[in-house]
Amino acid sequence: MIRHSESNRYARIEFVALLAAFALFLSTVEYLIPKPVPFMRIGLANLPLIIGLGILKDREYIMLAILKVLGQGLVTGTIFSYIILFSLGGTIASALVMYLLYRFGKRWISLVGVSIGGAMASNCVQLLLSQLILFGAAARLIAPPFLIVGLITSIILGIFAQQFVQTSSWYRAELEKRS
Amino acid sequence: MKQFKLGDIALLVISLAIVISSFNSYGDFTGKPEVHVRAGNKEWVYDLSVDTFATFYGPVGETTMEIRDGKVHVHDSDCRNKVCIAAGWVSRPGDWIICLPNDVFILVEGTMAAQEGGVDDTAF
Repeated sequence: MIRHSESNRYARIEFVALLAAFALFLSTVEYLIPKPVPFMRIGLANLPLIIGLGILKDREYIMLAILKVLGQGLVTGTIFSYIILFSLGGTIASALVMYLLYRFGKRWISLVGVSIGGAMASNCVQLLLSQLILFGAAARLIAPPFLIVGLITSIILGIFAQQFVQTSSWYRAELEKRS
Repeated sequence: MKQFKLGDIALLVISLAIVISSFNSYGDFTGKPEVHVRAGNKEWVYDLSVDTFATFYGPVGETTMEIRDGKVHVHDSDCRNKVCIAAGWVSRPGDWIICLPNDVFILVEGTMAAQEGGVDDTAF
């Protein structure tokens, strides 16, 4: 019995680590894609956070969010600069909103809506931060393209996540392991 | 796609509203340009579309500003070099005229939108 729960615990930690590794990899992919403006983010690294919603416990979810920020900082080389604040603020906001949307709105909202909510939260917080830290009031000028790109990519990511959760046998197996 | 749920649509609509409202940061398109005048430590605001004369008092005397046909210039000034008069008519947001001896500063303010699209005649 003890042995079983012990191995179960490791399996859970491994799963968080796996998703964090996904986030790290997707951060790399995102970093490779040329962008006209550095603020135009796709948000690929948020995919593990969306997919993890249905499986992870609260603590594991927070863990994954922090690991995602660290991984992103590592890949982009901004881990020891103030730019990490943008990543941190955006990720905390989107993780929180996505968690709340999923937790309390699961019946009415699919992962598409969760993704949209998370992206908007992340982008709004990052705009606010750039207004406070970098550009002052001029930050509002980058708001429209920034928000539009975020909205479009989040819809695509959300549809992908929804499809993945519904069709992936790996995901279903992980889910059954836990129930 | 059948996975879409009602809440998704609601969130999409809310997000679109946020995106559209963010366009307000590009300025009020119907906003009228204004003329801000600072003389000494006082400031006045005039509507650029209303023709007026206004006189301001500074250390060396009077400076008279004229607004006509949506443009502003210094009509007369008691300063020595008359640089402010030579500056001529200005009308676009961001344009300014200053009379240093008499400490009068005239600045056209308006929306960012009104400023864009014009030829920068200084560079031109």
